[in-house]
Amino acid sequence: MDVSSALEAHQNKFKSIQVEKLVPVEFDLNLLAAFDSNAIDAQKLSSKKEEYLKGLNRDNAQLLFNEIFKLPVESTDAGLLAKLPSQTYILPREKPLPKEKPMTRWEKFAKTKGIQKHKKERMVFDEATGKYTPTWGYAGGKKDTTKDWLLEVPSNVDPMEDQYAKKREEKKERVDKNKKRQKRNEEEASATNKGMDPRQVKKKQLQEAIAVTKQSTASYGRFDKKIEGEQKMKGMKRQFAPNITDGKVEKQATLDILNKVVGKNGEVLNVTKAVRQHKKARK
Amino acid sequence: MLRTIKPKNARSKRVLRSRESKVEENGKTAIFVRGSQTSQIVNDALKDLYLLKKPDAVNFTKKNQIHPFEDDSSLEFFSQKNDASLLVVGTHSKKRPHNLVFARMFDHQIMDMMELGIESATAMSQTKGSKCAVGMKPLMVFNGELFDTNENYKNLKNLFTDFFHGQSIDAINLTGLEHVITVTAAPLEGKNAGLIYFRVYTIQLKKSGAKTPRIELENMGPSLDFKMRRIQLPKAELWKVATKVPKELKPKKVKNVEKDEMGDVFGRIHLGDQNLEKIQTRKMKGLKKRGTEDDEDESEPSKKAKVDEDEE
Repeated sequence: MDVSSALEAHQNKFKSIQVEKLVPVEFDLNLLAAFDSNAIDAQKLSSKKEEYLKGLNRDNAQLLFNEIFKLPVESTDAGLLAKLPSQTYILPREKPLPKEKPMTRWEKFAKTKGIQKHKKERMVFDEATGKYTPTWGYAGGKKDTTKDWLLEVPSNVDPMEDQYAKKREEKKERVDKNKKRQKRNEEEASATNKGMDPRQVKKKQLQEAIAVTKQSTASYGRFDKKIEGEQKMKGMKRQFAPNITDGKVEKQATLDILNKVVGKNGEVLNVTKAVRQHKKARK
Repeated sequence: MLRTIKPKNARSKRVLRSRESKVEENGKTAIFVRGSQTSQIVNDALKDLYLLKKPDAVNFTKKNQIHPFEDDSSLEFFSQKNDASLLVVGTHSKKRPHNLVFARMFDHQIMDMMELGIESATAMSQTKGSKCAVGMKPLMVFNGELFDTNENYKNLKNLFTDFFHGQSIDAINLTGLEHVITVTAAPLEGKNAGLIYFRVYTIQLKKSGAKTPRIELENMGPSLDFKMRRIQLPKAELWKVATKVPKELKPKKVKNVEKDEMGDVFGRIHLGDQNLEKIQTRKMKGLKKRGTEDDEDESEPSKKAKVDEDEE
């Protein structure tokens, strides 16, 4: 039985999905885009603009549809999903590639020692209460021993020592130490991100700090204790007023000082500044 | 420059993290800004483009003293503040009436800008017919050989594709193909020299007698006829940095498998050295290997058995 004629008759009932193009249209199916590089008919475009554009776009959209429907299909709850190939048309990124984060001191150490991270369980069995408690978060974590109502005094310490204060201090020390390390890691990371050696950066900072302290003594650090490997400061000289000067200048300078201390114009006491300093000192 | 913010709580930390550079990026956000003076045509165009780009879009309705080609600092500020890399600025002046500037940023720095004047426009609200749902992924069609030959048009093609394609995906729902954004470039000579026709249509699926449906288009709007004005193409070095593919996303190289131009796959297999001692050649009595005496004793019974079988 010849079914080809019957099939053809069935097909003829519908409009065709075939489109003929002189130059084959290019596609990027990941972007759902079609790039048609065939020449535009300028005459038709000027005479029957909208009609021509619609026809042209319909043809190209049909070609794109034909390509999309050729893709492997997966049926899910949401409907038929066509798996798209990877993108070939090059589009620029929005931001530069992420930089690799420099390792912290602990991570470096762990790597050399071969220490591996392992995930903590969300719930742990607490033997004291016989219940499962969260490792972190609400009602979790280590119990705060500084809040115990009773603390044992060890036999080898001063019995009058406040054990609560001791625990508090110890905890604070631990936290501060960790914060200090955190800060150091951040500083080192920012230095390595800028392509500098963290040690050199730290050295430079120290030298700058030394220079400032030297300038702040009257003798410009001449009588200060020398630090090992300290560099000689250049361009710092004490300045002396000449022994013999014009009398008027000298008189004015002395009067200025006097005026600053007891005069009406000069502020003898800056109250707000004094209060602030006092507060700081009390802390 | 904006001040750097140190996150104080988990929420702001999450937001800042989402703004960091990533291997697989988010869809690009576009912001729509009005210049110091705008016309109704520009306002409508901005609104319609915003509707097409939604939800990855922010629409600003207040006027701003912005001159994209003269001073780009305010654009960079906009980009940084909103974490957006696509900008559309609408202006209107005597010298350049009904003006749209499409700017693209890389790392909050201007990469390229294209100024398009609107020659004629029909807004989405003025167009009858069905509209697509918000946030649907569009099909895109570019017509005209200019998009392959002319540098400015090439860049425009890239810009528009980048602008509308949204988040990159690896699968698409076949029922979710609702509209098609088309850009047609008229040839550079003739009556409509150099005009660019921006049309958006909704797609209607018709029976075709096959699995693939026949489609018909219906104008959805906006319909904009653009003319190119000032253009700033991306610098080559910046483009190179921006199109770098991260190591993680590069396809893994498969050793010894090649593809030729026809798409046929060829494989090469390495067999290693052949052991000639163990090779099976034609069995002949004369070539039989004679081992030491001990070996012969062990192997004798089996040999005998074989001979017996042969005789039978």
